[in-house]
Amino acid sequence: MDSFINQYGFLIVQMVLQAVLALSLYLPLMAGQLSLASPAFYAVGGYVAAVLSTQKFLPPAGTVFPEPVQSLVIWLATVFPGAQDGLYPAGLVVLEMLIAGLISGVLALMVGFPALRLRGIYLALATIAFVEIVRVLSLNLPVTGGAIGIFNIPQPFHTKFEYLWIAGPLILLSVWFVARLERTRVGRAFAALREDELAATAMGINPTYHKVLAFTLGAVLAGMVGVVSAHFLNTWNARQGTFDLGVLVLAYVVIGGARTFAGPVLGALLLTALPEVLRAVAGLPGLPTWLTEFLREGRLIIYGILIAVGTVFFPQGLLTPEIFTRRRRPPGIQDSGAGETAPTEVS
Amino acid sequence: MSLLAVRNMTRRFGGLLAVSDVSFSVYKGEIFGLIGPNGAGKTTLFNLITGLTPPSSGDLEYKNRYITRLKPHQIAELGIARTFQNIRLFGNLTALENVLVSQHVHTRSGVLSGVIGTPGARREERQARWQAMELLEMVKLSDRAHVPALSFSYGDQRRLEIARALALQPELLLLDEPSAGMNANEKTTLTGFIREIRDRFGLTVVLIEHHVPMVMNLCDRIAVLNFGQLIALGEPAAVQNDSAVIEAYLGEQ
Repeated sequence: MDSFINQYGFLIVQMVLQAVLALSLYLPLMAGQLSLASPAFYAVGGYVAAVLSTQKFLPPAGTVFPEPVQSLVIWLATVFPGAQDGLYPAGLVVLEMLIAGLISGVLALMVGFPALRLRGIYLALATIAFVEIVRVLSLNLPVTGGAIGIFNIPQPFHTKFEYLWIAGPLILLSVWFVARLERTRVGRAFAALREDELAATAMGINPTYHKVLAFTLGAVLAGMVGVVSAHFLNTWNARQGTFDLGVLVLAYVVIGGARTFAGPVLGALLLTALPEVLRAVAGLPGLPTWLTEFLREGRLIIYGILIAVGTVFFPQGLLTPEIFTRRRRPPGIQDSGAGETAPTEVS
Repeated sequence: MSLLAVRNMTRRFGGLLAVSDVSFSVYKGEIFGLIGPNGAGKTTLFNLITGLTPPSSGDLEYKNRYITRLKPHQIAELGIARTFQNIRLFGNLTALENVLVSQHVHTRSGVLSGVIGTPGARREERQARWQAMELLEMVKLSDRAHVPALSFSYGDQRRLEIARALALQPELLLLDEPSAGMNANEKTTLTGFIREIRDRFGLTVVLIEHHVPMVMNLCDRIAVLNFGQLIALGEPAAVQNDSAVIEAYLGEQ
């Protein structure tokens, strides 16, 4: 077990983080908006973590905050275990996540209002441009460390696998959040916009508000993943959170299925694990040399073939809502049944 | 008392005058028919009233309030609901969800209260589902509440669209060719149904309809459009014998 964790601990955490990132792209898609902006917020989140943890939170520089904030920082630094071992306090990582979520959210509101006036492929292009702007800025601003970036980001854990203490709750909370959201008033407004925007507006749904809301929720999530990733990877620079990542995350959603939250999660887990699985298969004894060579060197080819084959045979993705509804007890009026008083006011 | 006043409404699409200087009032509680040959501008007029198409000129007054510049969702909030000529249901959503979407403006739980499931949000959700089921019951679709709308038959989709519009709790209901694709029997049933919902919900109904016997039977007043212009307005019997109307439908004698 220990050797398994040593070997695959990094991969498991990576899979979980990519799954949350996939959800951050899925959120605007719930309202029918194809945005590839997640990497930009992911990058911003990473820089928030890198700057705060290397320059602001650690003593003696830790005196930069005004009083109530400073007390909170000190409290968070001591309330979680780890600080005593010379590790970076995990509580501060959580604080960084909240700050990064806030900054990403505000940024998303600023970008979202003009960008979401665009539709379909034009919105996708605008968000790609935004990712590029963030990349060029981070390459040139002093605070982000220019081309070198920021390294030696402090570690809250001894091993990479222990990052599950943060990544695990993050994915569980995000999945719970999105799964619940799909079955609430706001989630239904998203779904209506995605199905038919014109009909949705004629039924009283404010399109701009809900599109920006979905976009912002996705951005907050991406920013939080960036924080964890920055600590996890130990270094952060302008090569993190670029257009390439956007394409990869889009592939998670397309392969997994874009119509239920479970799709992006599954897609991210599978596609992130795939290179390692291929590597392991290539290591099996008794395979002809050309095959091992291909499995090792041709991973990207296999990857591409799988995406092509997947979209042909599973155009809806691997998971569709119908897979779940077939077994689920139908929701609705039965839910309010036994023991509860039926509402009396009916128009 | 006039509920909706259309004043000098004009809409151009390039060189085409789709609606040209049309004025009329719809009185509270009446069933108002809008008829005319294909391409007369009836659906464009509906799109103008619901804000989906901005007018080139003219004004809309609803309950003594100008709504000309309002966005479609704001007009829906004020209590104007509609159905579409080419049915526009949310196909992948269930019948129940389709109706629930329209209760949006009458509920208020937000992202957090909904996701967390605060007592208020739960109560609201229960009540909304209960009311939605009532409406589905009324259009006789409650047994298939959890079936995606796209798998419904044409006639069922039309009824579901009416249920969805009613969930908005409108005062003014715009029906765009509600009987399209129905057989004679279903049309008779629909006539009764429209009267029933008008009485039950205190609605004012404006409907676009091609089936002349149904219009004559159902409507209190009728407006006739031809090439974007209002050529006749009045009670069914009067309109039926109007020479301009006969000319529009049958050509010059």
